[in-house]
Amino acid sequence: MTDEAPPLPVPAPVPASSDGARVAGGGEVAARFEPVVAYAGAGLVAAVVATGLMVGGRVPGIAAPGPLVEYGLPVARVLLDASAVATIGLSLLARLLGYDAPDRTEPVMRTARRLAFVSAVAWVACALIATTLQAAEVNPGVPLTPGAVAAYVGAVAGGKGLMLSAGCALVCAFFGWLALRHGEKVPAELRIGIALFGLLPLPVTGHASDGVYHDYSMISMELHVAGAAVWTGGLLAVAVLVAARPALLELALPRFSRLASAAIFVVAATGLFNGLVELALTPGVTLPGGLLTTGYGVLVLVKVALVALLGGLGAHFRFRLLPAVARGGRAAVFGWASGEVAVMGLAYGVGFVLSRAPVV
Amino acid sequence: MRRALTAVAAVLAVVLVVLGAAGPASAHNVLVGSSPHDGAKLRHGPRAVVLTFNQPVQHGYDTITVTGPGGGRWEAGATTVDDRTVRVRVRPLGPAGAYTVGYRILSADGHPVSGELKFSLRTAGTGTPSSPGPTTAAQAANADGGGGLAWLWIAIVVVIAVGAVIALLRRARDTPS
Repeated sequence: MTDEAPPLPVPAPVPASSDGARVAGGGEVAARFEPVVAYAGAGLVAAVVATGLMVGGRVPGIAAPGPLVEYGLPVARVLLDASAVATIGLSLLARLLGYDAPDRTEPVMRTARRLAFVSAVAWVACALIATTLQAAEVNPGVPLTPGAVAAYVGAVAGGKGLMLSAGCALVCAFFGWLALRHGEKVPAELRIGIALFGLLPLPVTGHASDGVYHDYSMISMELHVAGAAVWTGGLLAVAVLVAARPALLELALPRFSRLASAAIFVVAATGLFNGLVELALTPGVTLPGGLLTTGYGVLVLVKVALVALLGGLGAHFRFRLLPAVARGGRAAVFGWASGEVAVMGLAYGVGFVLSRAPVV
Repeated sequence: MRRALTAVAAVLAVVLVVLGAAGPASAHNVLVGSSPHDGAKLRHGPRAVVLTFNQPVQHGYDTITVTGPGGGRWEAGATTVDDRTVRVRVRPLGPAGAYTVGYRILSADGHPVSGELKFSLRTAGTGTPSSPGPTTAAQAANADGGGGLAWLWIAIVVVIAVGAVIALLRRARDTPS
């Protein structure tokens, strides 16, 4: 793909990406957004389908929040995850490409910084929207006033967590904007750190388990979220900006491959731990039967299968594509990376529903 | 740059403190007991419906209703919460037949949990329901809606975000360092 390639039609997985692929003056590159569409699209499909399976029948005499909220909320949360993951991955790209060949990497980094700023603003917006929808969800049947949203944030940990995440994302956007003007003088580590920090309040909005395992399951859940974000975000950034440029791929792929190898073990181990603890601590559920007899258990199994699939794809990257790239040969990295982020999107979509679904 | 770093450190410190104060997040609440129990066949109407969950229930977002034969409503007054139990008083019941208890409570982890259980009244009482018949289609639609205003807030957030992105990108482009 050449630098003069016409800007691709920008998909709208995040509300603020309208400026997405427009090539600015000053040596930027065109980004390929198919992987973003694959990732966010798969996430949305998984979340909506899983929600459809989980939304129970109407209970007589009880007002329901209505389909706009029931389906709007998973959509907002998937887009929140997508924009947060994109922010982390794009910030991470500076570390993956390294600083040794600025003449080669700087055009890509300029685009990466602009996209990171846009995705951080989208993250803020998605977090605020998700807060609004969650407040609407617990106030069914009445018009949602700003006071009701404030009361929800004040009373419920889930609302506080989302607002904290929005705050971190706002700081991310601020540093992203500084980086637009001052380049890599604004340290990438700082931007990565703040973005990862912005993910940490999110598990508080789901159900990590209680009781004796509470501390462990919270730590495990935080590791799960951070590991998945670094892995997915890194791959997304590589796919969008690097995969079609062999000279840069040579720099980024070995580093990313090491990162991904560590991430998959962390994500698989922590995810399995949390899923099983959640099932084991629910009254009336026995293991291993509960894996098949409860909707929650089945979703845990679906996620295990998706991680196994990702492991296979990762192995293909590590043992087939990476040696080819290292030899300077051509490899279909873009296609494989797009496929892999789509599987990750499915896992995120199911994951969101899993974090809220009643266990029994 | 230095001032920005200080600001970030302050924000992170506040986040840590609030996270620490947010308390333990816990799993979904599960209904572990009820009075009357599901499927009970009662001679006299209960004075109250009491639902017991495996974990504390959050205050302020909880509803129990009792719907009788013909769609009349029989709960009296507001639903109250005491730690793991949620309770609503019940009017003296009327016709014999099937009654449905519907509930929607907010779990300790902030997720709504809803469900229903049934009991039947063998001998007709003398009470009258608070609302005589089934809710009309218009009322039902209203009960399912209420999300309309939420969409106004969402539209405002989107417009502000898109505007901020466009304005700030332009500003960053105009003044490259």
